[in-house]
Amino acid sequence: MFLNPQILSITILDIIFLLFGVIVFFISIKIYLKWDFNSSTSLQYTLEKQSFLSAVIIKYIFYLKLPLFLFFIFTLDSLSNIIVGAMCAAGVIDATSYGMSLFILKIANIYLFGIWLLIHSIDIKYPNLEFTKLKFGYFILIFGLFILEIILELMLFNSIDVSKMVSCCGTLYSSSATSVISSIFSINSHIFVYAFYFIYLLNIILYKIKNAYAFAFSNILFLIISIVSLIIFFSPYIYELPTHHCPFCILQKDYYFIGYILYIALFIGTFYGIATAVSSYLDKQNKSYFKISIIFISIYTIIISLYPIMYYINNGVWLN
Amino acid sequence: MITFTNILKEYKINNETIVALNNINMHIKKGQLVVLKGASGSGKSTMLSLMASLCKPTSGEVIIKDTKISKLSDNFSSQFRQENIGFIFQKYNLIPNINVIDNIILPLIPTNPNEEFLNTRLKEVMKLFNIEHKKNIIVKNLSGGEQQRVAIARAMINDPDIILADEPTANLDEKLSLSFIQTLKELKALGKTIVVATHDPLFFNLDFVSKTINMKNGNIIDYGNIID
Repeated sequence: MFLNPQILSITILDIIFLLFGVIVFFISIKIYLKWDFNSSTSLQYTLEKQSFLSAVIIKYIFYLKLPLFLFFIFTLDSLSNIIVGAMCAAGVIDATSYGMSLFILKIANIYLFGIWLLIHSIDIKYPNLEFTKLKFGYFILIFGLFILEIILELMLFNSIDVSKMVSCCGTLYSSSATSVISSIFSINSHIFVYAFYFIYLLNIILYKIKNAYAFAFSNILFLIISIVSLIIFFSPYIYELPTHHCPFCILQKDYYFIGYILYIALFIGTFYGIATAVSSYLDKQNKSYFKISIIFISIYTIIISLYPIMYYINNGVWLN
Repeated sequence: MITFTNILKEYKINNETIVALNNINMHIKKGQLVVLKGASGSGKSTMLSLMASLCKPTSGEVIIKDTKISKLSDNFSSQFRQENIGFIFQKYNLIPNINVIDNIILPLIPTNPNEEFLNTRLKEVMKLFNIEHKKNIIVKNLSGGEQQRVAIARAMINDPDIILADEPTANLDEKLSLSFIQTLKELKALGKTIVVATHDPLFFNLDFVSKTINMKNGNIIDYGNIID
């Protein structure tokens, strides 16, 4: 296993998460099977205490997972300096067949844990703890993905071979590659741009209408189309290079770490967009989520739109 | 007003289970003054802690004003306490290095009350417990009796319906103890429900005490004479 301080830190945290996660998993099963809030038995009081403890553990795992995800990207990016052929995190991710799956799983888990936190916040808002059983049942479901993420992450670090040549992002994110991403390059990039702005406008309309379920669905679409349009259309304007489409290089210092701002805005915006549906279903109170979502996706849209506009103002031509 | 149903409270210390309260059932009506008497370790303070929702029973229910307070989470317990309960501690639990006014208003700080209401309420309680002339004195410079009056004023600042007092006269001489008993009588006349945990004999034959609950080893031995 290749070990440097960053990988060691992530691995230690993974082991701690795993340890506490397993404890909470078993408590969750007990709560899910035996929870009866109206009961005043010794078992129920014990479960109530354990539910508070478990909630605290899950909360802290989530709070640590958020910066850890950014740190994970940062680590992959720094590893690209020592892996032959890699120019950024993309090359390191592509070093194994499951690297991209791990990356997508990490993002999905952040959303899923975020939704757990949302259910938890609604649950503790009322004295009768109406959603305790639901939130721990939900944790049992996401625990499998959580374990899978840790296993894949440890396997990734274990399989890193600094002497083995990997592809650079210029190859991976081009029409010459053989991945799913490369097949997207065969579609006219303008279609993705139109789709991006159309869904953004749709979000604004749904924000005005306050239809939570449609808004959540629209946000899921916005998340997907934003990442695809970033790769296909917007990234060449950030790099000022028509052939460079990497979604990872924008995280580097050369581009003023703009990728972190873009992704954080996109993830927060779309998460709160999805949260409106969950909150609407459980609580009927979600006005602030609509607002947070629309603010962050607007920040993303404005920043990403500025790149082609500024490029056109400066150079008088479009890149695509 | 206050109901205990099948209350069991156990503490685990070094793998040993200690039963603090064993199958307690009792009811206290609104406006009653109840004395819990018994030796140290009989379960009096645990009863008060359960009434104040400072701890949870091992099993059973504590219901106050139709709310199952034993089922409330910490946040809701705090809110319930803040709105309904005034607690007078044996050692007063005042902050020694701040003045009388600042100690008294402490329970109201989380509610962020407006200044006019705060000043009016402050004047009322300081007048009621005769400590207005000491309002700017640092608490550690007050006598025991004065500190206790500050503690009572603090317990009353949020105008609670229920007042709980844990060994309130343990640190007082007889004269101050009798003065405190007179204060309790006045609070009862105001319609407050009062529960006092004590082993001070001064409390045992008072004509205004609604009932005296005698406790031993976590059990209620008898309920004494019920006055009202």
